[in-house]
Amino acid sequence: MMPEERINMKRVLPDEEYMISGHLACSGCGATLAMRYTLKAIGERVIIVLPASCWSMIAGVFPYSSLRVPVYHVAFETAASTATGVKAGLEMKGDRTTTVLAWAGDGGTFDIGLQALSGAAERNEDFIYVCYDNEAYMNTGIQRSSATPLLTWTTTTPFQQTKAEAKKDIMEIMAAHRIPYAATASIAFPEDLFHKMKKAKEIKGFRFVHILSSCPTGWRVPSQLSIKVSRLAVLTRIFPLYEIENGERYFINLKPEFRSVKEYLELQGRFSHLTEEEMEVIQMNVEKNWQRLLKKAEV
Amino acid sequence: MKEEKKITFKGLKDIPPLSISMGTTLWNKTGTWRYLKPIYSSKTPPCNEACPAGNDIEAMMVLVKEGKFREAWKLIKEENPFPGVCGRVCFHPCESSCNRKEYDEALSIQAIERFVADSHFKIDQEKPVGYLKPKERVAIIGSGPAGLTCAYHLVRMGYGVTVFESYSSPGGILRIGIPEYRLPRSILDREISEIESLGVEIRTNSQIGKDVSFDDLKAFQAIFIAVGAHQSRRLGVEGEGLEGVMSGLEFLRRVKEKEKISIGKRVVVIGGGNVAVDVARSAWRLGAKVQMVCLESSEEMPAFFEEVSETEAEGIEIIPSAMPIRITQERGRLKKVDFIKVKLAEPKSDGSLNPLPIPKTEFTLKADSVITAIGEVPDLSFLPQEVPIEKGFIKTDEMGFVHPKGYFAGGDVINPHHTVAGAIGSGKRAALAIHGYFRGEWQKGKLRIALVGEKGTLSLKKYFHPPEGEANPPVIHFHEINLDYFEHQDRVRIRKIPVENRKGGFKEIYSSLDQEEALKEAARCFNCGVCNGCDTCWVYCPDLAVKKKDNHYEIDYDYCKGCGICFEECPRSAIILKEEGR
Amino acid sequence: MKMVMEGSHAVSHGVLLSRVEVIAAYPITPQTHIVERLSELCASGQLKAKFLKVESEHSAMASCIGASAVGARAFTATSSQGIALMHELLHWASGARLPIVMANVSRALGAPWNIWCDQIDSLSQRDTGWLQFYCESSQEALDTMIQAFKISEKISLPSMVVLDAFYLSHTFEPVDIPDQERVDRFLPPFEPKFRLDPKDAKSFSSLTAPDTFTEMRYRIQQAMESAKSVILEVEREFHKIFGRSYGLVEAYRCEEAELVVVTSGTVTSTCREVIDQYRHEGKRIGLLKIRTFRPFPAEAIRENLRGVPKIAVIDRNLSFGMGGIFAEELRSVLCNEPERPLVFSYVAGLGGRDITQNTLSNVIEYSLEAEQPREDTLWPDLRI
Repeated sequence: MMPEERINMKRVLPDEEYMISGHLACSGCGATLAMRYTLKAIGERVIIVLPASCWSMIAGVFPYSSLRVPVYHVAFETAASTATGVKAGLEMKGDRTTTVLAWAGDGGTFDIGLQALSGAAERNEDFIYVCYDNEAYMNTGIQRSSATPLLTWTTTTPFQQTKAEAKKDIMEIMAAHRIPYAATASIAFPEDLFHKMKKAKEIKGFRFVHILSSCPTGWRVPSQLSIKVSRLAVLTRIFPLYEIENGERYFINLKPEFRSVKEYLELQGRFSHLTEEEMEVIQMNVEKNWQRLLKKAEV
Repeated sequence: MKEEKKITFKGLKDIPPLSISMGTTLWNKTGTWRYLKPIYSSKTPPCNEACPAGNDIEAMMVLVKEGKFREAWKLIKEENPFPGVCGRVCFHPCESSCNRKEYDEALSIQAIERFVADSHFKIDQEKPVGYLKPKERVAIIGSGPAGLTCAYHLVRMGYGVTVFESYSSPGGILRIGIPEYRLPRSILDREISEIESLGVEIRTNSQIGKDVSFDDLKAFQAIFIAVGAHQSRRLGVEGEGLEGVMSGLEFLRRVKEKEKISIGKRVVVIGGGNVAVDVARSAWRLGAKVQMVCLESSEEMPAFFEEVSETEAEGIEIIPSAMPIRITQERGRLKKVDFIKVKLAEPKSDGSLNPLPIPKTEFTLKADSVITAIGEVPDLSFLPQEVPIEKGFIKTDEMGFVHPKGYFAGGDVINPHHTVAGAIGSGKRAALAIHGYFRGEWQKGKLRIALVGEKGTLSLKKYFHPPEGEANPPVIHFHEINLDYFEHQDRVRIRKIPVENRKGGFKEIYSSLDQEEALKEAARCFNCGVCNGCDTCWVYCPDLAVKKKDNHYEIDYDYCKGCGICFEECPRSAIILKEEGR
Repeated sequence: MKMVMEGSHAVSHGVLLSRVEVIAAYPITPQTHIVERLSELCASGQLKAKFLKVESEHSAMASCIGASAVGARAFTATSSQGIALMHELLHWASGARLPIVMANVSRALGAPWNIWCDQIDSLSQRDTGWLQFYCESSQEALDTMIQAFKISEKISLPSMVVLDAFYLSHTFEPVDIPDQERVDRFLPPFEPKFRLDPKDAKSFSSLTAPDTFTEMRYRIQQAMESAKSVILEVEREFHKIFGRSYGLVEAYRCEEAELVVVTSGTVTSTCREVIDQYRHEGKRIGLLKIRTFRPFPAEAIRENLRGVPKIAVIDRNLSFGMGGIFAEELRSVLCNEPERPLVFSYVAGLGGRDITQNTLSNVIEYSLEAEQPREDTLWPDLRI
């Protein structure tokens, strides 16, 4: 909860649900909550374009669906390109009110889907692209993606040789495309996510939302800590909450007091190998990125 | 759209030409994945445990926060007939145990209780139990907080109650012992009349052993002895009998009756407890220069901390660690008191203080009058032989039971630690014990249902409406609160009359909170261990297994995968995780 | 209205007349003239369609899939590397039963770069579940475009209309452009059987287990089989309104033929000349043009080649390790026939090498002479 909301302690999310129980998500899955809150904001009049990712399974296997809205499963790298076509088709059919929502994982956005994402963003296609980021190819067994943070363990960056590259800055890539709206969000801050989706819904043109979605299975965290670890990612500034308008105006939604990244890293098995020095490196990088972000927001 | 069926295909005819959904995943009862089960299970808030009167403080906070002051008043009155009194005079152990004090500052619980009481709601109290007009009648000796509380609860249960009060008006120590600036008469009168209006008969000027004999009470099926402790301990020093020396209780009574008392210009008060403080501050208001001397050191003084600070603020000098040696007069008038500095050693075998004089530390204070307040003991002379007495107080078991003839006792008459809240609590306990005694339910085990925490606090509501689940769950400690859900907020500041405006009158010092302040302060409550409908569990369930029901929640165990997020995130630990039965 | 135009532009006009609603395309030689003309038509408002200038062919097909799914008539055009890039999505489109129509200007695949005529690009997609039509003339290209939408929408499978690179795409011919009103009568608006509808919470193409997958594949095969009769039905209708039709195959002067030359694409026109010459000289040589490659018209082929002693198949393509693809498919539909011709398989014209009348004569001579082909695959224009 954002500070002003915490004092009131009562939630403001509407009751209506667009998801159905009985889905196949792992116990404690963060991606499920990302969808749940997004749909509460966007409502019933939506078509979801869904490439290969964990959500391909969570959405239900034939002949069942776990969503109360239409879903179009598509090939891995085609979230943005198919969504482009869906939106164009709808407009030709006279429907200008249905929201088209591309819902891709980090692999399908940062890596294989980057071309289509860039193309659609450059053309300012009119749909919302959500990247729910669990920081690896989780659905195929926790392999590294370019969204995996520095020094993280994955099945393709094992303990002897963890990830040597920093996490790709997808928000800056989106900013460079000068799209009308880009934002980060976290499942531990549902009202913030909800408001951002509501805001995005009303904007015309390409909108990008990057949601950090905790994965107890892949992050090696007990399922009950799924929200807590998501919250700490924001509060330790590893995953700041901010918005970018037209690639130029930055708004930071929450400026938390300093908290050591250790609090966040210690909870997760995928970071269990980190030495003190390595944690310091991570802390330094977090500070650097945070300062850079602060500067951008000053302008 | 409750489609729960699993879809089966027989062949080509029913399989669609392309993969398109035909039903929902509701048939898939993912509850089978679970090995830990979340259960809503309230714990005991520490404030509830700490309140000797047994108020459900946490529930009161919820109602006040929502602006439901009427309901809050009803809630308090279920347990405690004296919220207006407690909201002014109680030593608020609830605030001392409030978990919030480890985060920023404790909730201002007493002020909120007072706010609710001052709202003057006149509502019919519901009878807590369905007994129809039981035949038994109970005699209560003493109309102090213990006696009247016992009367209040018994009459609500349907019993006939007659209270015998030796004084000319009811209230006990509340009437004659607590000064007006702490407890205005109007408040006491109002709350007593609310008790009388339920059908309690109070007979004043009816002292047992003088106006009424103990034998006459045979007409009643049970007797509750709550005469309080109104005999002052004697100093045991030379000059104690001189004119100008009086007991604190006597002084306070006369002040309350607005009698003219000449105490002169310089008053020395001997004693370090609440009575001594009340005496000192009352004397100050009558225009005297007051000095207070007590055996205890500053840290050991038994008087309430806030009372002591106000005493000092009013310019009354407190001289700790000193013992009087003699009181002398000159020309028929009281002149001075000699003291010696002491250090308190281990208490004596009978529990009384053991001061060790420090040689060559004598000093003298001039005094026009000396008022002693070194302890109060009960007058037990009227009691029949069979009533057991220990160390000057009536001996009872933990339920207030004294004798199989149906004698019960409570309040200051059984307890050397004198607090109004404690007396109220013992009155309630006795009412439950008497009820159990009459109805043949009286087993120690039964009373356990009413326990709140481990300090002996009782809840009438719990006794007659036992909650589902654990009867007396563990108390929630600070580390069990999920602080990620709270922001620091200052405690409300209670307005009080500045010192310079207090002299010469007995006006109430503290003001009541206003509505906005009460709402804001109640919102600071963590609601430790008890669900307050904050929706956190509902928001964070990935399987939509937490369903809203009334103002609370229900878990659909068909789908709950036991991830434990609700348990972890609940800001107030109102959920437990239990291993799934095999 | 008759006009002289490039084959590419004939395709563009076919798209215009078919009232396509969403076009998604990426430029590649020699398809560019198709999409350039379409851009002009969209910009001028003549064609009321959204033209998505996507950033790759893969995205072009993905966008067509999205648009078609919600019920918009969708089109793309590509060639060579482009259609190869689309490959996984061609499977996706047919599996999702979407009636997308694509024009493929058949060009060789690298490495090395080669921009000229070769059928390998479209034929490499033969397993993807798309109907394939090989056109001989600009008129046929335009007419087939219009027909393809009707056929695809009837059977819910996508179609590709194949033009020979440069020979057909960049040469000018007189084309009779049908008027819009008559095309509208022939081709009503697209009404999908399964629509991705915001009001209908259905999930499309989710994970399908072995217990139901086979049946869905069977249905596609059934649709393909039915396509053979649907194509003919649609052609009959087309003939009624416009006076033209092309069939699944076309037999040219095959009466009592000793040898039938089997061709596809523009080489057919060259071959017609050669056949006429031979017939003039009294030699009984015939020509079978295969227009529809998918579904492969097995029955029509068997019927037309019954009793023919020899066939010479001209393949402007090569499946490495096997041979000419048309020959391969012909052999497989004929292998169980009691009376089946001897198959002479010729691979020629790869990467834009002209198949001249001379080459064809050599082919015919050798086929007539030899008792058995000396090799499974013969290379008449190989420079030794």
